[in-house]
Amino acid sequence: MRGPHRLAPGLLTDAARPVGFCFDGQRMRGLAGDTLASALLANGRTLVGRSFKYHRPRGIVTAGPEEPCALVDVIGADGREPNRLATTLALHDGLVAESQNRWPSLRFDARAFNDLVSRFLPAGFYYKTFMAPSWAWERVYEPLIRRAAGLGRLDANAGAHPAPAETLHEHADVLVVGGGGAGLAAAQRLGERGFRVILAEQDMVLGGGTLLDARWDAWRQGVCDALGAAARVRCLARTTVLGAYGHGVFGALQVLSPAETLQFGGLRERLRIIRARRVLFATGAVERLIAFPGNDTPGVMLAGAALSYLRRYGVAAGSRPALFLNSDQAYDTLFAFAAAGIGCAGVIDPRPQSLAADRARAAAIEVHGGSVIEAVRGRGTALRVQIARLDGRAAGTLAADSLLISGGYCPQTALAVQLGATLHWQQSIAAFSAQLPAAIGRLAGSARGVFGLAAAVLDGAAAADAIAADLGRPIAAAGARPLPDDPQVTPIAALWEVRTARARGKAFVDLQNDVTSADVRLAQREGYEHVEHMKRYTTHGMATDQGRIGGLVGSAVLAQARGVALSEVGRSKPRPFAQPVAFAALAGSEVGQHLKPWRRVPLHDWHQAAGASFVPTGLWMRPLVYSRQPGWEPVLREARAVRRSVGITDVSTLGKIDVQGPGAGQFLDFIYANTFSTLPVGRARYGIMLREDGMLLDDGTTTRLGPQHFIVTTTTANAAAVLEHMEFHLQAVCPQFDVVLTDVGDQWAQFALAGPRSREVAAAVVADLELSNQAFPFMAAAAAIIAGVAGRVFRISFSGELAYELAVPARHAPLVWQALLAAGAPLGIEAYGLDALNSLRIEKGHVTGAELNGNTSADDLGFTRMLKRHGDFIGRVLSQRAGMTAPDRLQLVGVRPLDAGQRLRNGSHLVAREARSTSLGYVTSSTPGVELDGWVGLALLAAGRQRVGQQLLGVSPLHDEQVELRIVSPHMLDPENARVRA
Amino acid sequence: MSAPEFAPQVAEGGTVRIAACPTDCIEIAAFSGRAAELAGIAARRGPQLPAFGQVARTAGRLVLSVRPQRWLLLHSPAAAGANAALWQSACADVGAVIDLSSALTALHLAGPAVRELLVRSCRLDLDPEAFAPGSAAATIMVQVSVILAALPSGLLLLTPATTARHVHEWLLSAARPFGLMPSSEMSLEDLSGDQWP
Repeated sequence: MRGPHRLAPGLLTDAARPVGFCFDGQRMRGLAGDTLASALLANGRTLVGRSFKYHRPRGIVTAGPEEPCALVDVIGADGREPNRLATTLALHDGLVAESQNRWPSLRFDARAFNDLVSRFLPAGFYYKTFMAPSWAWERVYEPLIRRAAGLGRLDANAGAHPAPAETLHEHADVLVVGGGGAGLAAAQRLGERGFRVILAEQDMVLGGGTLLDARWDAWRQGVCDALGAAARVRCLARTTVLGAYGHGVFGALQVLSPAETLQFGGLRERLRIIRARRVLFATGAVERLIAFPGNDTPGVMLAGAALSYLRRYGVAAGSRPALFLNSDQAYDTLFAFAAAGIGCAGVIDPRPQSLAADRARAAAIEVHGGSVIEAVRGRGTALRVQIARLDGRAAGTLAADSLLISGGYCPQTALAVQLGATLHWQQSIAAFSAQLPAAIGRLAGSARGVFGLAAAVLDGAAAADAIAADLGRPIAAAGARPLPDDPQVTPIAALWEVRTARARGKAFVDLQNDVTSADVRLAQREGYEHVEHMKRYTTHGMATDQGRIGGLVGSAVLAQARGVALSEVGRSKPRPFAQPVAFAALAGSEVGQHLKPWRRVPLHDWHQAAGASFVPTGLWMRPLVYSRQPGWEPVLREARAVRRSVGITDVSTLGKIDVQGPGAGQFLDFIYANTFSTLPVGRARYGIMLREDGMLLDDGTTTRLGPQHFIVTTTTANAAAVLEHMEFHLQAVCPQFDVVLTDVGDQWAQFALAGPRSREVAAAVVADLELSNQAFPFMAAAAAIIAGVAGRVFRISFSGELAYELAVPARHAPLVWQALLAAGAPLGIEAYGLDALNSLRIEKGHVTGAELNGNTSADDLGFTRMLKRHGDFIGRVLSQRAGMTAPDRLQLVGVRPLDAGQRLRNGSHLVAREARSTSLGYVTSSTPGVELDGWVGLALLAAGRQRVGQQLLGVSPLHDEQVELRIVSPHMLDPENARVRA
Repeated sequence: MSAPEFAPQVAEGGTVRIAACPTDCIEIAAFSGRAAELAGIAARRGPQLPAFGQVARTAGRLVLSVRPQRWLLLHSPAAAGANAALWQSACADVGAVIDLSSALTALHLAGPAVRELLVRSCRLDLDPEAFAPGSAAATIMVQVSVILAALPSGLLLLTPATTARHVHEWLLSAARPFGLMPSSEMSLEDLSGDQWP
């Protein structure tokens, strides 16, 4: 055998189904069930990428999601997708992948020059190297660094088409994270007791460590069969729990099987938000590296990964490997290789003696006890491994085609720590383990530092029993089940870094971000002594793999540099997400047309058919003008119909709040600045409400429908805010008022019929109500039958014309609207949109959101007289502060150009000709006059009321325009309000 | 509700059925200290007011409780305001009566995959053990408030009328992988019928 290759079909591969794929332009073959990494190894590829900073050649290091080096671009029908892990990427026919971060080729990468000048690129080099000259940072340094940074390449058109995605919300009694021995045993116990269980396993198959030991095949199959039959247990393979949040909420990302992808329209990933009463972390342990010079050489792999490739895919990571390890568990790889007929170049173990080493020697395998590796040279299949004895005696060199290393195992505690678990140093395993409050959940198996498959299975079952008891449904003790024995082991001897006299060269503690042990020491020397500071200074653990296999090693190097115990240094805090997640998966299905809800008025389809241009206002789609023609002409046509005859507009978007109860009048007196308790039944009143800080919140009319029944209208924009404001005060501030508030905004469609001839139209459709000025004066209101529909009629006006607002239950809106149009047709009735409505109200001096902007007080807008003198109301005290009524505040005025041919611009600054650099205020709203000649506008102007009659300039620097203006009263049309009372 | 922007694929082999359910909705709430009187009035008119989070029914009528001390009465549709007027006269001075017949749109969702469909936006636990027939709750789906009631025949969904099209279109879109069954309007008589335990 030359080089790595496939010895036999593995547990997951199907020898009868070859699969063709392409890597860096080279066609290769793998088997169905392979990952890209196993297929590359089977094809003898050891060099698969270049490192992030130094562009050093890199190979496959792990067999799972903790992989730091084997990241590839995948080129598919949807373009190029960077940074996919070869170790988890399922091989499929036609897969095209490319290595990353190299130019012009993987074998010869010009930027490997960085490695030669690495002494000038230590940790934090950009803070030091690029200090001067300062002008060069943005022009030279940053562009250069940005060009050099990053691994994969993103397609220029990436994201042009939203990828299918969805989010699921799920619930369980217990979420079991991890489907290894402990997780399977726990899920089975809980399932048998009838608990609703979700078991999430990141691997494509369940089993975890049991997959690597043939003695466990029968047990695993039995448990999986039992779980498959358990009605309340759901096992989710390919599902990684990404984050653990408070209150039992977890985020998990599931990669779909090809069949599911087909069913769900191309969906590849699915975000599951899981809410569980308890969690069991059976997340296992991750093997860690040892820092020694050349530990990143292609051909150096974690020992556990080599075992995984052998068992799962039948692929040997080498034909004559050397092993460098410090625990008996790691010898499992050695024995599995020997059983597969692969010879070993030798084992290097810093422990002088161990039970596993004895077993190896008994099998005629050479074990170099009390030794370490101080250098690895060569690449590909020709490695020279330089051995040093810890007792200083002479050592030698081994020739091997691969080097399998293991520095021990770290319980995977990241998710538990996210939930507030505390870490404890456990000397027996040379690692930290975690403990969770029982009210949240538990850890089990090697995630808790309990190593050995049988021990983990028993620990998982015990954790399940404890959780069941916590949830009030204890499980009867299980009978002893026969389990394969865990071998006796000699304890691990912690080994973090090899620092012998001849150990020279880069020893990596973070392979993905190219962080060496020397970088960690440099950080410590420069004052970054806390593990979180060291992390940020060196970028240790900040890559997509989150430094899983070297995180603790970096902490240990820091501890050594500081001269303190590792337990004192600890580990940096892990945060969600546990692995990279595509934004599409987070966005879920609420994209495109489902991005946000649009509110449509009941007559939306009519408006659309009538040719309306719509404008989004908040969530509403409102008809702006019934024309697609640009310019003011169609707007003015609609508005003039109102001024001269009759128009009709849909004001259904107004907020409507039903207020009922014995305390309704008093409550409204408290909410509003003016009084409503004295309002007679059948009358409406304009009101303003303030915020607690005395500023205006909203305005609108309120109508008394009965002794204990009012209907409040709010502005469209503030409908939700006003309801919330009222509910808050009713529930929290003045619950003594016996009032029921209900949002009836969607119940009532409301139309404003406005214009001097509106009475004629209203009278034609309104039955059983006399509409004469005497019988139904301005601000009158009554229930009435409108076009056969029971509704309400209000004589209120926003346009300044004689007007009626007709409200009917929304489902009857089309019928009533059509009846009104038919009745108005002989009079030339025009439907008018939001633009015309605005033109009419500006000319009349009515305020809306542009003036009720949150910064204006009642006095600013000329509402001082509406503030009641007696009785309390929200905002009363603060509205009386001197600053709220100061004469130099911005006050509402009207503005009109001296030259009627000149236009106004919203936002124009008002300045005095002699002091142009001082803005005195600004134009809030403007329109061509409907009846008035030229443009008219409303403005907020410092001491505005005193300036009426003065001339100022309206300056719009954005448009390079200035207009000479005359300041006028905001009530520019019909200041006596005669029209509305006609 | 007008047609959605795409044509859903409807087939006999589908596993989700989405049907309109015309209904009048009236909300009632007792004034302070009048809860017992209101309950008495409701009991005489039928059915008895359910406890919070529950649905009660009588022939042609459902009552949901999803807000504290408030009940949502669902009637077969009548002339505008007619059902509400009857309740208003019965409850005068005892409680508030608010006609929401046009404010809410009702959809009936059924089929073996209906819960699989709803978990794609609904945060509530809709497992039959947690949300058994006779349960009701208010929540948010696709950023819109909804009321869900579990009935023997399926789930009744009530949502504000102005955003109902958004909810409906999302339901049709999300139901695609499951297949839609043909459906016709469901009446309150259907929903409150004999299939209740």
